[in-house]
Order: sequence, then structure tokens, then C-alpha cells
Amino acid sequence: MTEITYREAIRDAQREELERDPKVFLIGEDLRDPWGGAYKTTQNISAVVGNDRVINTPIAEESIVGAALGAALTGLRPVAELQYLDFVMRAMDAVVNQVAKVRYMSGGQVTVPLVIRAQGGGGRSSAAQHGNSLEAWLCHVPGLFIAMPATPYDAKGLLKTAIRMDDPVFFIEHKMLYMTKGEVPEGEYTIPFGVADVKRRGGDVTIVATSRMVLYALEAAEELAKEGIEAEIIDPRTLVPLDEAAILESVHKTNRLVVVSEGVERCGWAAECVAMVQKCAFSDLDAPIERVCSLNVPLPFQPDMERFVLPSVADIIKAARLTLGKV
Amino acid sequence: MPALSTTEKVDWLDLYRVMQRVRKFEQAAFQLYTGGKLPGFLHLSIGQEGTSVGACAALRPDDYMASTHRGHGDTIAKGVSVQAALTELFGGASGVCHAKGGSMHIADFSQGILGANGIIAAGVPIAVGAALSAKYRKTDQVALAFFGDGATGCGPLHEGMNMAMLWSLPMIFVRQNNHYAESTPRAEYQGIPDVARWAAGYGMPAQKVDGNDVLAVYNAVAEAVERGRRGEGPSFIDSETYRWFGHNIGDPGTARPKEEVELWKTRDPIARLRQKILALGMASDAQLDAIDQQEDAAMQQAIVIAEAEPKPPPQAALDDVYSDRELGARAIKGLRGVSP
Repeated sequence: MTEITYREAIRDAQREELERDPKVFLIGEDLRDPWGGAYKTTQNISAVVGNDRVINTPIAEESIVGAALGAALTGLRPVAELQYLDFVMRAMDAVVNQVAKVRYMSGGQVTVPLVIRAQGGGGRSSAAQHGNSLEAWLCHVPGLFIAMPATPYDAKGLLKTAIRMDDPVFFIEHKMLYMTKGEVPEGEYTIPFGVADVKRRGGDVTIVATSRMVLYALEAAEELAKEGIEAEIIDPRTLVPLDEAAILESVHKTNRLVVVSEGVERCGWAAECVAMVQKCAFSDLDAPIERVCSLNVPLPFQPDMERFVLPSVADIIKAARLTLGKV
Repeated sequence: MPALSTTEKVDWLDLYRVMQRVRKFEQAAFQLYTGGKLPGFLHLSIGQEGTSVGACAALRPDDYMASTHRGHGDTIAKGVSVQAALTELFGGASGVCHAKGGSMHIADFSQGILGANGIIAAGVPIAVGAALSAKYRKTDQVALAFFGDGATGCGPLHEGMNMAMLWSLPMIFVRQNNHYAESTPRAEYQGIPDVARWAAGYGMPAQKVDGNDVLAVYNAVAEAVERGRRGEGPSFIDSETYRWFGHNIGDPGTARPKEEVELWKTRDPIARLRQKILALGMASDAQLDAIDQQEDAAMQQAIVIAEAEPKPPPQAALDDVYSDRELGARAIKGLRGVSP
């Protein structure tokens, strides 16, 4: 095993796949060396594989995604980067009406081997237009698979899988995770979609968390352990498809559930997860399911206000205690 | 009047035949729709055959073409089977898109057809991507995007023109200039009357052609295709034409002056080619009538077959969302308890 950052995991996955398959290419804004991407997730790639396989584009998100789709429909395997997940709003027609539906609308004539990468999330005063968590919007679109890794290991393995898949994948990274470190195997590995990972074992309460919230949940679990509460932390890793069985199995054991998702609470991903569990495991539950999400406001700029709006470790601890009847 | 050398490159009788095929398809669609036999929307392209057929005749089967919501003529001209397209309009299981797409989404990737498209200008970036792909793969294929008046003020068209020029792509932009964006006349949606000037602004050559002269369209597109194959970058063609019908079947026809519609009917692209063929003695009236009858008979037969085709079972709605069957089944599983 070797320790790398989440950023290096994203870079390595792309570079390895570019070297493995000449049909793979990268397309997006500011990708080429020496700049290597706004968050440096494509650094030292064009220098290795050449500029013709790492295409810098105008700032034109709808056409970045549209052109990537055109290439995917004609024999290539593009990896398109949107610099911020927020910018998917500029590309929403291409993502929703074109990428996600062209296979369906054509009666299955084509496959769409296309990955769209973007980083979302708050935590660095990026304010209301550069820090959104929009995974719920994308999960609402039939035809996309959605990955949202929390660790370097998951990021690398899932991205390599995504690039090899024949369906469109929206791959959501988190800007506050790029500097985090974790172990990955020295050699080749991939991680299948639809398989959750138990990030911590525990028997008292299940915490389902995604992306950066997995790290928060792990911190919360350490605090809860001091009170004698053992939390089990499930990271679905892919939201579509969702490993429902892993979540239900844990809830069957703990009888309590907290769902942590950084997007705003209303109609968020946590609501979908809660609806699934209450339907499939109603009799397992000993307490109402708690949700920990962002407040239903835009993300503010000022750091204290931003921290107030985003879910916190303390919010997760409080929610877990609530499910155990401890206020 | 196009150069006579056109005859060496393209068979005028073929152009005539395919224009008739499109016309008869659209006439049949109109009859069937108003007779209550076709669900959904219907946007007819009657009057625009010269542009659809002239442009696609300049493409090879392995070249790419993206069309619009008014895409029957374009897709038939590029090679979709009339039978498969008509069956699609009926919602028949053997339709070209297995009844998932309908009139606005006819696609046949085996013919290089990247799809009609229900969203204005959305096909342009997809075609740009196909052109990028051709260049990346070092083939000599080209991609052609049709778009209408409604697209001229749309971002993706301008983004696509910039990208195609930037990357010197083998791309042909063909504006089907029919004077109206849905009901709105040009003066109300376009800052300058002549959008070919925009092309010059992006740095690519532009030609204005009489879109009801199929030979002129063919020549202009053929030249653009050759430029693309030689690696000389994109071209823009502004093809002036007119649709005889309203925006769609629900359009009562109040948006346009009657005299204008009648005037444009006198510029029928099919009648014009017929006159040229006769004038040059390339075929006789009887020979051309025979083509008309053959196409008409083929269409009548296609209608009978399309109407008799079974509809897909409703559960077929669950197929083809994803190509990965196992993950796809999990992704679409829901509380209503249906799965493919």
C-alpha cells in the first residue's frame, strides 16, 4: 500500500486509464499542464500523454458536455471536467436531456461511455455559486450513474471503473477532500458501482454519510464512543445505484439511523434515503430517522455563517444521540 | 444555376427521388396525424426538401449529421429507412427507436444520424463532438449540424461555432433559414438580417444559398465537406427556404401572411428540379412520373405495414435506460415494484 492524496487518486486514475486505452481523452477548462486544472486534478497528465488527449476548452459548459457526448457516440471514451459542480447549471440540458436520454430515446441503439467529473461542496468561503452540493438534482435524472467518493482509495477505484463503463457517469468530488490522504494499493484495482463500504463498525446507531460528510461522521463517531455509543458508518460510495442492502442490513442491527448529506435538506438526497429505509425496514426502527443536511438557505460567504449553514460534527453527534433518546 | 459539372458528382434523378420520398412521407404524416392515428407532436418540413436532400447528398454514409425537432426530411435524406421512421411515428415496436423517441427523436446511428432533437440548438455541440472525434481518430469523416431560425440566438450554436473554428474541425453548419422561429418573424429574434456575417466573425467561410435549389445546396455543402476532409476546418451555409405548414400541426397558420406562403409554394424545390431535368432532357415527364408513382406506392405500403406493427408492451418502457443490465435494473428499481 502507498499513501496518496484524494487529488493524486483522481489524477492517477485518469492518467492510468489514458495510458491503458487510446480512446480515453480529457476535455474541459484549464486542464493542460502546467496549470493542470483549477484544483490540479489533471496536473502532470498532458505532459505525459500529450495535448491532443487533454483538450482545453472555452468556458462553455453546455458545449463541453455536448461535444463530449458527440465523441462518446462516435467511438471515444471522454472524461469531461466541469470546474465546479455549480457550473453544471450551465450544462443542464446537455446532461439531462442529451447525455442521460440519448440511449433511451434511440431505443438502445448506442452506449454512452462518458464520465463527467465535477467537484462540489462548501467549506472554503466559496459562497453561493461555487460551493453547492447538487447530487440530489443529478440523482433525479434517470440514465445517469452517480459516484461520490470520500477517500483516495474509493476515488481512484471508482473513477477507473467509471471510465470503463458504457453508461454515463456523473462523478462528484469534494473540494475539501483533495488534500486528504489515504492508502491505495500499489497496483491496478477497481471498485464496482453499487457497493457500499462500512467505514466503521458499531452496533448502536447507523450513520449513512456521503463524500466529505463521511469524514465528519467518523469524527462524530469518535466522540460518541466516549459516551459509550458505537456508531456504524456506511458510505454508499455510489448514489445511483444505491447499495440499499448494506444500509438495511446495518439498520436491522442498530435499529437507528442518521443520514448525513451536505446538500440542502429540502428534497435532498437524505430524504430519498430516509424514504427507502422507512419503507423497507419500518419494523426495524426504534426511533424516527434523523437527517443532517445544510440549512435551506444559499451558502453564505463569511466563514462563521458558512459553518453555521453546513452540517457539522456536532450536528451529527446531536442527531445520533436523539435516535437513542438522549438530548 | 449550378455548374453542369454537378451531374458528374451527383445523380439529379436520385435527388429528385429522395425529395419526393420526403414530401410523400410528410404528406402521409399529415394525413395520419390529422386522422388521429399518430400520437405526440408533428413538425412538418414540406417545402424544405431542397435543403435536407441537397445537404445530405453531399455526405457519405459514415459522415455524421445532427438534426432538429423538424427532422423527418433530414433523417430520411441521410438514410433512415422510411419504414422504420414511419413505424416510429405510429409508436410501433419495430420503429427505428423502438417507439421510445417518436417524431422529434428519430435517430439511426448506423447511418451516421446522431438524432433529431427536441431542444433547439442542442444538436450542434453533439455534432461538434462527432467532428472532434473524427479528427481525434484521424479519419476523414465530417459532421454536419442542421439548425433552424430558432437556434440563431441560442448559446450552443455560438459555442459550437467557436469550438469548431478553434479546433479546425471537419464541421458544416447548415442553417435551415425558413424565416420564422416558431411564430416569430426574423426581425423579432435576430439582431442582424444576415447571419452568414456571424460566421465570418468566427473566422469560417460562409455561403448563402437558395435552399429551394437542391443543386445549389448540394454544391455548397459538397465544397464545405471537401474543405473539412482536407483538414481546413468548418464552414457555414445559410440555406434560405420556407416551410409550407405552420410550426406544428397545432399551428392555425395565423402567424404568416397567406400571400407569403403562396409565393413560396411557387418556389417548390421539387418542381424546380423537375423543370431543370426536363429542360436538359435528362429524363422525360413519364420517367419522372414513374419515380413519383414508385415513391408513392412505397409510402402507401409503408403505411399499411407501420399501422399493422404491434405496439411494444408497456413494460418495454423499462428497457434501454442503461446498457449495464444489472446495475441499470438496480438504478431504476422503485417502490411501484416494477423492474425490467
